[in-house]
Amino acid sequence: MPAEPLLSARGLSKRFGGLLAVASVDFDVARGEVFGIIGPNGAGKTTLFGCLVGALKASGGEVRLLGERIDGRACHEIARRGLVRTHQVVRPFREMTVEENVSIGAHFGRASHRGGSAERIVREVLERTGLSARSPALAATLTIGELKRLEIARALATSPLALCLDEVMGGLNPGEIGGAMALIRSIRDAGVTVLMIEHHVHAVAGVSDRIMVLNFGSKIAEGPPQEVLENPAVVEAYLGSEAPIEAA
Amino acid sequence: MTRAGTVAGVVAATAALAAPLFLARGALNDLWNLALAVILASAWNLLGGFAGQVSLGYSAFLGIGAYTTVLLSLRGVDPFATLVPGALLAALFSVVIGLPGFRLRGPYFTIATIGVGEAVRVAASSVSFTGGSGGVRMPAGSFDFGRNYLGMVILAIATVAIASVVRHSAFGRALSAIRQDVDGAESLGVDSTRFKLAAHAISAALVALAGGLYAINFQYIAPGAVFDFRLSLSIVLMPIVGGLGTIVGPILGALVVSTIQLKLLELPVLRDSYLFIYGGLLIAVIMFEPRGLVGLTRRLVAALRASGPRPRAADAG
Repeated sequence: MPAEPLLSARGLSKRFGGLLAVASVDFDVARGEVFGIIGPNGAGKTTLFGCLVGALKASGGEVRLLGERIDGRACHEIARRGLVRTHQVVRPFREMTVEENVSIGAHFGRASHRGGSAERIVREVLERTGLSARSPALAATLTIGELKRLEIARALATSPLALCLDEVMGGLNPGEIGGAMALIRSIRDAGVTVLMIEHHVHAVAGVSDRIMVLNFGSKIAEGPPQEVLENPAVVEAYLGSEAPIEAA
Repeated sequence: MTRAGTVAGVVAATAALAAPLFLARGALNDLWNLALAVILASAWNLLGGFAGQVSLGYSAFLGIGAYTTVLLSLRGVDPFATLVPGALLAALFSVVIGLPGFRLRGPYFTIATIGVGEAVRVAASSVSFTGGSGGVRMPAGSFDFGRNYLGMVILAIATVAIASVVRHSAFGRALSAIRQDVDGAESLGVDSTRFKLAAHAISAALVALAGGLYAINFQYIAPGAVFDFRLSLSIVLMPIVGGLGTIVGPILGALVVSTIQLKLLELPVLRDSYLFIYGGLLIAVIMFEPRGLVGLTRRLVAALRASGPRPRAADAG
């Protein structure tokens, strides 16, 4: 393991009134890793992503990207430093074409490409996400599977160091889930670190190097997929009983 | 479409520039008014149409430009040389309003701009160096309609050209992303506040330039005229009637609204009821075609194309 993690959080907390949605969570993500985050509904996973990328202001703790503090910085600035997330509920720019949507990421993300090189990035990203044929289509006309891929494509076009994927497999059919897993592996192989929230336990276990489990805002387990899914505390949190989870 | 648009634009611009050679003074006056309306509508559209930030305080920028021109001219500066400081002052003022204003979202920004516009009018009426509510007059001997006409037409052409360049640039795409989903744009690295401030400043400067040219041609300005809330309203009305966020829309809207203003409102019966006409126009556009005349035209073209091939098919059969 390299000396310095790409992304690290210490004591990260988020309070909404009387609810502690994220309760003093610590974790490190190494460069090139796929880091899965699972947990029951309402465990604080999406809130955690919001705090990491600056869409939400953390109530406490710190976040470091390449050793530098990024907590408290604006969302657009964190995106430009290389930490970008996708949204669980897709939010394309509906009046733009697929190509224009992706070009926003290429123009204003970490690498801030201009002119010709932005066009090249857009073309490559559309190719990798299988959206080339849909490039001139208005985003409003896409299917849910295509919208999920557009959400990833826009984020990828920012040339991120780390990509936070929030349930990109939600609502996909089994065939599409296989495609999404292959896409995540190809993103990792291209050198981008991946954090992913996923309800689909088999899929997340299949692509993650390590998994962290959240329950009621707290971390209850962390480690290699198989080990974590056999952890009694995790089984308890998911099922409230001792029935084992079948891992792929 | 864009190539046809460029050709039409060049033809219209050339005709407007050459108009003094063949049109009478009355017609040129109407064209001067139209050019002013085109500038106001197209400049407002940069922020209101492209970035979706609806401001009802644009009379402030027109007034700042007009007052800068008159007050500096009275101190011996050449009237046309006063245009640049007026534009810079308005751009600076737009940033001062925008820094707190753009923290507000949706209708709250719009409401705040109404307050700003009114505050500027009251301030200009109360302080002494502006001449108070009585207004101020340009120094004698500075009037040349031919020059004033060309000045306004050139600024109108430049404003439309700037709008077109912005719309097709990465900056314009960022503004469109901000209008559609500001959080989504931010999450992809778009600094929404900076881009809104930039659009606001560019449009404020253009409106202030128009304000200066207005003062040079009218020779007399007063807070009740250049800082009028009804002026801010008609600035907003034009791009909405024509088609928000497009290049042609504000021009069409300017044509319609300035025709109404110049022709209809000359009739004494209608002079006091123009707010009803504006209100009716606004309701009609929002109910029947929110994308304005541009949207209406597109629908008509689509309908004609759809009905076009049918007779041919009948001939073939």
